[in-house]
Amino acid sequence: MALLEVSAVNKRFGGITALRNAAFRAEAGEVHALIGENGAGKSTFIQILAGAVRPDAGTIQFKGAPFTAQNPSAAQAAGISAVFQELSLIPDLTIEQNIWFRREALTPFGTVRAGGMRRETLALFDRYGFPIARPDREVRRLTLADRQLVEIAKALARDPTVLILDEATSALAPRETEWLLALAANLASEGKLVIYISHRLQEVRHVAKRITVFRNGTTVAEHDTDAVSEDEIIAEMLGRRLERLYPERKATATRRVALRVRGLSAGQRLAHVDIDLREGEVLGVGGLQGHGQRELFQALFGIGRARGTVELWGKPLTGHGPRQRLSGGRDGIALVPEDRRGQGLLLSKSVAENLTLSVIPRFSRRGFLSGSRERALVDDMIRFLRIKARTPDQLAGTLSGGNQQKVIFGKMLLTEARVLLLYDPTRGVDVGTKGEIFVLMRELAAKGYAILFYSSDLPELVHVADRVAVMRNGSIAAVLAGDAISEEGILKAAMSASERSG
Amino acid sequence: MTEVGWAKRSVPTRRDQPAVPRRVSRLRFAHSTFLVDRAPFLVACLMLAVLVAIYGALRDGVFTLEELNLDAAASMALLLAATGQTIVLLRGGIDLSIGGMISLGTVIAATEFGDSWTTALPWGIAIPVIGLLVGMTNGLLISLLRLQPFLVTLATWSILSGAALLILPTDGGTLPQGWMAFGNASLVGLSTSVWILLVLFLFWLWFSKTRLGVTIRATGSNEKSAFLSGVSITFVNVATYGLSGFFAALAALYLTTQTGSGSPTIGKDYILPSVAAAVIGGISLFGGRGGLAGTVIGAFILTIIGNLVFVLSVSSYWQPIVSGVILLVAVLASSLAERSARRSVT
Repeated sequence: MALLEVSAVNKRFGGITALRNAAFRAEAGEVHALIGENGAGKSTFIQILAGAVRPDAGTIQFKGAPFTAQNPSAAQAAGISAVFQELSLIPDLTIEQNIWFRREALTPFGTVRAGGMRRETLALFDRYGFPIARPDREVRRLTLADRQLVEIAKALARDPTVLILDEATSALAPRETEWLLALAANLASEGKLVIYISHRLQEVRHVAKRITVFRNGTTVAEHDTDAVSEDEIIAEMLGRRLERLYPERKATATRRVALRVRGLSAGQRLAHVDIDLREGEVLGVGGLQGHGQRELFQALFGIGRARGTVELWGKPLTGHGPRQRLSGGRDGIALVPEDRRGQGLLLSKSVAENLTLSVIPRFSRRGFLSGSRERALVDDMIRFLRIKARTPDQLAGTLSGGNQQKVIFGKMLLTEARVLLLYDPTRGVDVGTKGEIFVLMRELAAKGYAILFYSSDLPELVHVADRVAVMRNGSIAAVLAGDAISEEGILKAAMSASERSG
Repeated sequence: MTEVGWAKRSVPTRRDQPAVPRRVSRLRFAHSTFLVDRAPFLVACLMLAVLVAIYGALRDGVFTLEELNLDAAASMALLLAATGQTIVLLRGGIDLSIGGMISLGTVIAATEFGDSWTTALPWGIAIPVIGLLVGMTNGLLISLLRLQPFLVTLATWSILSGAALLILPTDGGTLPQGWMAFGNASLVGLSTSVWILLVLFLFWLWFSKTRLGVTIRATGSNEKSAFLSGVSITFVNVATYGLSGFFAALAALYLTTQTGSGSPTIGKDYILPSVAAAVIGGISLFGGRGGLAGTVIGAFILTIIGNLVFVLSVSSYWQPIVSGVILLVAVLASSLAERSARRSVT
């Protein structure tokens, strides 16, 4: 008998059907992948399992009994814990306070038992081999990756029978991803069910025994992983054959250097970086996470203090701040930032407002906005990027992840800057939109744009970039070109001899 | 194993799972933020030390128990009000209604206490209960009507102030002799206000570690995350503003021991200073960060500034000017600390 059996579940939000006749069946002791494009209904489905959303119709059988959790606490009590994409941590509490929040052991005086909490936390970390030290750190001081790990710890602390991982690896470095995949496999071997949601098919194929595919709110297929090819899965997700994920890479780079960086240093994480980014080129930035990629992008966008020289189209770049970088117009620099929801978008503003945010001066006359010109450009950009919004006035926060990323691209393109910094632009984006983003990048390169492209997903660098600069300890360790660009080549350059033992 | 083999294995397969997942060493936590996290509080302590030093240089007998008793008495009403305000600020809100509650508390005391303990005692208990209920009403209004705390408490401040004026249109009323004597009594050389201060510290040591205390701070830090973790936001608001009203009523009772009368307008002098004391002590207006120790320091700073202005015998209008500068320094300190912390982490 299946541990978890969901059948004929429907859910509507207002006029939008999120789930229609969705079904899911999983056994104890397996890692079961749930895949589909953004907007396929995966998120709604797991929110139902996690008790955060109630279905309109359908039945859920869990451990042979009907499952009717009214809220997340009830679902957790029943044994289902979810690690959501939207982090549920409290920034000003410590790691351990977050893990045990609302479930703390209390003294007779009603205060939290601090010593017991520390012991429990360390025991938890030890049991699962968590790559986290110092449970007394405040969460707001942590990187996105570490917060993700804490979120996972919080779910595991409830000792769940079913652990749902929703895009849990999207913020993690390769080694942490490796750890998490091993953990998922271990939990399954202990008889738990791990529901694994990821856009990275490679991971899914490695870790999951079975795969369920969602499309447009409906379950379209269920497979044994071994019995199905990647192309078949993608075709089922899209409802059509994707010609190919990566567009053809034409050599469009000219000899003209768009961005010349010499001896760029910032803080302790960036030391003497030299880069030549050419017109018409996509230059990949690789390396293990935390080796200065983020600092490089921030320094180039004028955030924080940096030393060294930067030349843009042959002219020295001076001054600080994103405003200065964007003010160059066609000779400026634009950035697609790391944290889409936090840094890239105003979630509570409309698509149109977000698109034009960086270029407000162009639409204003004597301080007032000119609506008609703005609207015309916004409509063009929505059409050009095929942003799926009901109207330009739809709130950015209500779009799917892929469409949010398109809005950020549109915002960047409207600045007309021809040097683009793309920091992990496909993180958490569905495969269809990924393909569109790659095509767009190559199109822009062909038009003479110069693109610096960091990705946490190695195959993207290999298949999209003309050259790859591999960073190690804050410097460029190697620049790979042509046939030298391969996953092995990048990894080799990324790891010095001293680090390989780790 | 060859290097290529390692690279290929960077994603483990379910076929070759290690028995125990490998621990990955990390250096990301090496940097300590101990000082940075406490910078606003430490700056406040430094400012207080400097002010006390100047005060001590200008006047004899500053470093005595007697002076501590006097300063505690001068700070106590503000401190009680600011304790409630601290809890609200940690929640990420603000409570302007304490001004009205303090006025109302003093006029109820001055009109109802009469001349004997038999009438004073029940009312002495009733006033904090009224404060609690008024505050809980604030919390309910904020939650149920989904309104800004600033606006709700501005409205209730106005209502409470009006009620106070209806009860007692001008300063006056009577309080039992013993009541004022109690407020100015001393035990083992420490005045009532120093003892109250100690009790406040003990209260905070306890409260900040209770589940409610942690939950209020967590809700101020990130309301949505707290909600997702099973926190009832309505309950948190009712508790937070209830406590604030309760402490405002205590501040009113304390005031009556000092003035011996009721005043329907006295409360407005505590609204913004209670926020200032907390902010000077390092409490973030965005919620989630800070503690009562900072507020105590902040309240003492504001009191010492008053003393200094008196000792220097300059115009008393210098007091708000100096207070404003101190407030700016405090806010700058927290801002700089936050910026440097961000630089060191990302």
